[in-house]
Amino acid sequence: MGVLNALRRGIVRGADRMAEFTSKRGSRTHYKGRGAQPTGVLTSSRKFVPIQAMIPQFVVPDLEGFRLKPYVSYRTPVGTEPAVTPEGLFSEAVAQQIQKDFEEGSFDKEQLEKYGFEPTQEGKLFKLYPKNFI
Amino acid sequence: MRLTAILSMAAKAAFPKDYRYGTSRPWTIAAKRLNPPGKKRRKMFIEPIAYEDWSVFKGDTVEILSGKDKGKQGKVAQVFRHRNWVILDGLNTHFRYIGKTADYRGTYIASEAPLLIRDISLVDPTDRKPTEVEWRFTEEGEKVRVSLRTGRIVPKPVFQRRDGIVPQQWKDGPKDTSPEETLEKTYTPSLKTLEEEVMEKLGIEEPRRNRKTY
Repeated sequence: MGVLNALRRGIVRGADRMAEFTSKRGSRTHYKGRGAQPTGVLTSSRKFVPIQAMIPQFVVPDLEGFRLKPYVSYRTPVGTEPAVTPEGLFSEAVAQQIQKDFEEGSFDKEQLEKYGFEPTQEGKLFKLYPKNFI
Repeated sequence: MRLTAILSMAAKAAFPKDYRYGTSRPWTIAAKRLNPPGKKRRKMFIEPIAYEDWSVFKGDTVEILSGKDKGKQGKVAQVFRHRNWVILDGLNTHFRYIGKTADYRGTYIASEAPLLIRDISLVDPTDRKPTEVEWRFTEEGEKVRVSLRTGRIVPKPVFQRRDGIVPQQWKDGPKDTSPEETLEKTYTPSLKTLEEEVMEKLGIEEPRRNRKTY
């Protein structure tokens, strides 16, 4: 039974050399993490100093009067809202203001910042591209 | 790279083009015994029926036109579209033992055999006789099955969930959001991201910026 025959039958011999080498494989002295982000700095005296700014904190607004619950009732009919597209967002958020200004005559091509146009993402805390938040 | 590709192909080729489907689901042991990888069987010729032309659904009442239980009417329990099969409740049965152990001969039960769509005919609800059925559109634009002999509409059976929940009779629990609250539109379109809106609402100011990494 040759190699090709075995492959055709769906049986392949040997270890999978292309599998990911995780911390579950290797000897017991082999130390490897799973990609957690550090929350501090290791000093020269091998002491770990946690930095408060690196520890993630949840920022939750006040949920007073918030009526949505974890689950949805079975009686709810299927919703008919169209998906949010960039064109839809533009037309709902910005287009009317632009139209009003154009009709008044105060629309200026050079001053699109007042409608929310951002020429660069430099200097912003939450950049859209490259996206620096999750 | 080639090896993982081959392994993934072996995993994906669980349903090759000439896979012979049976009454068991393909991931069960019975189906794996019938179709081990690499087994090639004679091609099964199945009449191609388009998705739109399929007329028999689970829960329909149909009459058997040929076979052991010819002339009997029954409810459809299961439909197999890939082989044009239909299993009726308690009809076209053969008998077998189930749960056999070394010393116990097993329970003798009746198990249904599948019937082809060609040997089945939908039953007109008004006179309860078998008819040919066609798909037509109503004046509202709804697609319905119409019996050719009498011209009456054969209604589609009500879909029953496997967990037995009837959505209209559901009583909301403490963690359920009611339908009115779910469908309330509270979204105001804005060009801010969620994080920026939350920061604005809570009055958080963050003048620091990340250092540029290259």
